[in-house]
Amino acid sequence: MSLYEGSVKRPIMTALIFVAIVVFGVFSATKLPIDLYPKMEPNIIMVMTSYSGASASDIENNVTRPLESTLNSVANLKHITSRSAENMSLITLEFEYGHDIDDLTNDVRDKLNMITSALPDAVSTPIILKFDSDMMPIMILSVQADQSTNGLYKILDDNVANPLARIPGVGSVSIGGAAEREIYVYCDPVKLEAYNLSIEAISQIISAENMNIPGGSFDIGNETFPLRVEGEFNDPKEMENIVVASMGGSDIYLRDVAEVVDTIQERGQMTFTNGVRGATIVVQKQSGANSVEISNKVLEMLPKLQENLPSDVKIGLVANTSENIENSISGLAETVLYALLFVVLVVFLFLGRWRATFVIAITIPISLVASFIYLAVTDGSLNMISLACLSIAIGMVVDDAIVVLENVTTHIERGSDPKQAAIHATNEVAISVVASTLTMIAVFFPMTLAGGMMGMMFKQLGWMMCVILTVSTVSALTLTPMLCSQMLRLKKKHSRFYTIFFTPIQRVLDGLDAWYGRMIDKAVRHRKTVLTACVLICVAFFFTFKYVGVEFFPSSDDSRMTVKMYMPVGTRTERTHAIAKELADKWMKDFKDEARVVNYTVGQASEDNTFASMQDNGTHIGSFNITLVDPDERERTLFEISELIRADLNSYPEIEKYTVSAGGNSGMGGQSSIDFEIYGYDFDATDKVARDLRAELLKLDGVSEVRISRSDYQPEIQVDFDREKLARHGLNVSTAATYLRNRINGSTASFYREDGDEHYIKVRYAPEYRTSIEDIENILIYGANGAAVRIKDVGTVVERFSPPSIERKDRERINTVKAIINAGVPMGDIVTASNKIIKNMDIPLGINVNLAGDFEDQQESFGDLGVLGILIIMLVFIVLAAQFESFTDPFIIITAVPLSIAGVILALALTGTSLNVMSLMGCIMLFGIVVKNGIVLIDYTKLCRERGMSAIQSAITAGRSRLRPVLMTTLTTILGMVPMAVDQGEGSEMWRPLGVSVIGGLTVSTILTLVLVPVLYCMFTGVGIKRKRRKHRRQLALDAHWAEHKHTMIKSKK
Amino acid sequence: MKSVFIAYDQAYQEKILFTLDHFNCRGFSMFPQIQGRGSKTGEPHYGSHAWPSMCSAILTIVRDEQVDPLLEELHRIDKETERLGLRAFVWNVEKTI
Repeated sequence: MSLYEGSVKRPIMTALIFVAIVVFGVFSATKLPIDLYPKMEPNIIMVMTSYSGASASDIENNVTRPLESTLNSVANLKHITSRSAENMSLITLEFEYGHDIDDLTNDVRDKLNMITSALPDAVSTPIILKFDSDMMPIMILSVQADQSTNGLYKILDDNVANPLARIPGVGSVSIGGAAEREIYVYCDPVKLEAYNLSIEAISQIISAENMNIPGGSFDIGNETFPLRVEGEFNDPKEMENIVVASMGGSDIYLRDVAEVVDTIQERGQMTFTNGVRGATIVVQKQSGANSVEISNKVLEMLPKLQENLPSDVKIGLVANTSENIENSISGLAETVLYALLFVVLVVFLFLGRWRATFVIAITIPISLVASFIYLAVTDGSLNMISLACLSIAIGMVVDDAIVVLENVTTHIERGSDPKQAAIHATNEVAISVVASTLTMIAVFFPMTLAGGMMGMMFKQLGWMMCVILTVSTVSALTLTPMLCSQMLRLKKKHSRFYTIFFTPIQRVLDGLDAWYGRMIDKAVRHRKTVLTACVLICVAFFFTFKYVGVEFFPSSDDSRMTVKMYMPVGTRTERTHAIAKELADKWMKDFKDEARVVNYTVGQASEDNTFASMQDNGTHIGSFNITLVDPDERERTLFEISELIRADLNSYPEIEKYTVSAGGNSGMGGQSSIDFEIYGYDFDATDKVARDLRAELLKLDGVSEVRISRSDYQPEIQVDFDREKLARHGLNVSTAATYLRNRINGSTASFYREDGDEHYIKVRYAPEYRTSIEDIENILIYGANGAAVRIKDVGTVVERFSPPSIERKDRERINTVKAIINAGVPMGDIVTASNKIIKNMDIPLGINVNLAGDFEDQQESFGDLGVLGILIIMLVFIVLAAQFESFTDPFIIITAVPLSIAGVILALALTGTSLNVMSLMGCIMLFGIVVKNGIVLIDYTKLCRERGMSAIQSAITAGRSRLRPVLMTTLTTILGMVPMAVDQGEGSEMWRPLGVSVIGGLTVSTILTLVLVPVLYCMFTGVGIKRKRRKHRRQLALDAHWAEHKHTMIKSKK
Repeated sequence: MKSVFIAYDQAYQEKILFTLDHFNCRGFSMFPQIQGRGSKTGEPHYGSHAWPSMCSAILTIVRDEQVDPLLEELHRIDKETERLGLRAFVWNVEKTI
């Protein structure tokens, strides 16, 4: 008993199997996490090594180079970049995508073990860090506080950060911009000198006084008592009464030489949100946790936390990546629903029967829901790729069911009993249904094998499409015949509604059939003209390519922008703050309808703020987070606003450089950039090339910003000690330097404990005694014999410029010039223009300029997609040749591919969409979709030929009879894509190019194949027939010759 | 005793069996999945790409008086849906065991 026979004869079993699939699918769907992209295996490993006291070039020579040469031999390595700065070397290893990061880490560790012993002794053991996109913050909260500024850190730490960190899945919660409480003992150096005291001595005394010491236990009578001395301060002011020395019989108290100040850190970050001082709270998730779930929990918790806060402290939201995820996902979900509606409508219009429409429509939810089971089994998530996949699939899953239903209807109309009709009709089309699914799988399966970033992105799409298409085919071969046998009846009389509503539609369709038949009749009789016309149209469409821009990835407007401005190195926080405030106020005014939150942070981050210290920070840097309202609520796009912001930044001469990153905060889809990598050993030469290139690039239209990676020389005050003089006082450089550090940076004497929190007690010079070089020169340091000596007596204080950090890539020094390209400007144009610039530049010998960045990724991805495309065409050809047992038929069918490419180009040119990864992806999908029409036409034409019709007659008959199924399957696919192509919601920029290219390609190729395939078929068959006739003629001539000369050739019997 | 050979499009299968039962023709031999074509208008039934449908045939041995009603009924079925194809032929049975 065959599959379909079994399913028709056991309808309950068949129905319940599919019910089970749906139940499991829905169950899996409720368990699936929601994310923006499929989980991507990280491909970056960093190796951090410290060598204290070494300069950048020492680090480069002694640490970075040997490590690089060893690490270079790790397998699957793509690029190795490094940064050698003072005290520290950071090597970044970028691997090819798709390898297990744990294996790679082990390889790296093995290599490091080999080399560690060869490094200088003082070098610390290299630390391996895996970089993960999970480290990106999922939420940034803003805190506004007018009055509680001083205690803000503690308030937030106790009432917000700690409760949030307890939410399962939350990795770390860091507070930025709120300074921590510290207790400073500000000493007066003159008084210290007078009383013969030093910072160190005071620090020791404070530490010795601030102690709780257990004194053991002792017995009194029958009981044992522990003995304790509680010496810790209960109030910072108590410290002022400590006796620090005695002089001339009188006690000298700490208050005589110093002032105890209970305050906040001297150097900290300040954060302002919409003009009000406050703080930012950054929430990071644990690796692999579900961002949407976490941020929902955080949002749920916030009102409760707000209740416990002082009334002036208000928590707001700066950025919530999950909002973007949810918007994108719900936008796509809407697209899927619209697609479903359109497809059902098309089927209903063509068939005119609700029972038949139901039979076909039911395959959509079944096959789509089945893919959720696959996702749940493979730990996948509901993301943009998987949802887009559903949207793409909707139009395709009905195709098989349509073919089966159509044939069953034919059988029923011939008079078969529905049950028998279902079995036999399915049997007849089973092979071609399976073959057309195989061609689709030939398209989507290679996607799962693609390498590089494309592979990471489209692996899930490929597998999901394979699962969906397989399920839809199985359903078409079992569920559809079963439902047909149960639901379809021979219509002996139509209802009134049907007559009124569908008679006109039927008439139009019948007219279309007849018209198409006549047209084919003409076309096949003017084969050469038609062929030439098609080729010409195709070529004309190809010419519109010059109006199509090329870019890598569509930029997506996620309403978020980060701006960093760099004042000259060494600018005081106050100055940076003033400029930042001016800009923020201006932007709040200029974009008052668009900006929801303008938040900025200035100042140096403290070392224990994980998130802030990972980022670039310093007294001269101001960083802004700007959140706009949703794209549909504003007129200007994110990119237009970012241009205005750049213009504002340009108008401040004080701002040395800036970066504006608009969009793509969640990984992909930001503004694209081209990196110009300048390789060369000589700093000055490469700096000059970089500066010249920057100046030239800025002149180009479409380049909105140019960044140079190498930072400037940093001015610093250095003390050069004279070792001989130091030795004379029993000192060495490190002890002398420690004295310096204690006076300027402060020496941590002890901790002040209050309510379970520890606060630093720092002893240092009062701020007014550390404002000039003379102050430093006059610092007293103490020799081994206790004698004091001034810094200026043992060394000199000089101002110098410290060299910048040294960056290397693939083991060569590099300086990168990054050009940020305006949204909508094709990257290809800029590349051509900049290549010309580089050619005209006077580049010294030994310096190379390479193009990298998004451009390199683009080249690589386009290359990958090209290989994929060729692979797919070959596979499709193999499937077709096997099915038709012929080489010419698949060739005729595959002519639809160039036609579809022409259509894609035309559609892109007309809609002004650029050629990018997504539109290429659509193009590749088309290879499978467009051949379907050809298969249907050729298959029926061959059938007609086998039934004894002439070639031309077969082509016409097949065309007339197959026009409706072709139009129906094509329309379902096109209309399924329409919502994707016109959607304006968040994240829609990603999928629009794909939708546009599929619609364009499919429309053009369908219209042209409907004419061209019959024509080509007739041409090839004509050639075949002529060849056969010639052969036959020759055979006849041969036979005649044989008959005539037989007697001379055969020996006669004797 | 007469033998009746019924050749028909597969889709008739159930109706034919029902008819045989109806006329109390218990014994028969069946040939499922056979190929053939009609002499005048009958479409070929080859199970091939061009002619995908198949025939079945039943050989049933009935008493003489059963033949006419059976043939009449079969003829009625054939007339109802002529495009499928149904034919019956009758022979004498010479001997049985």
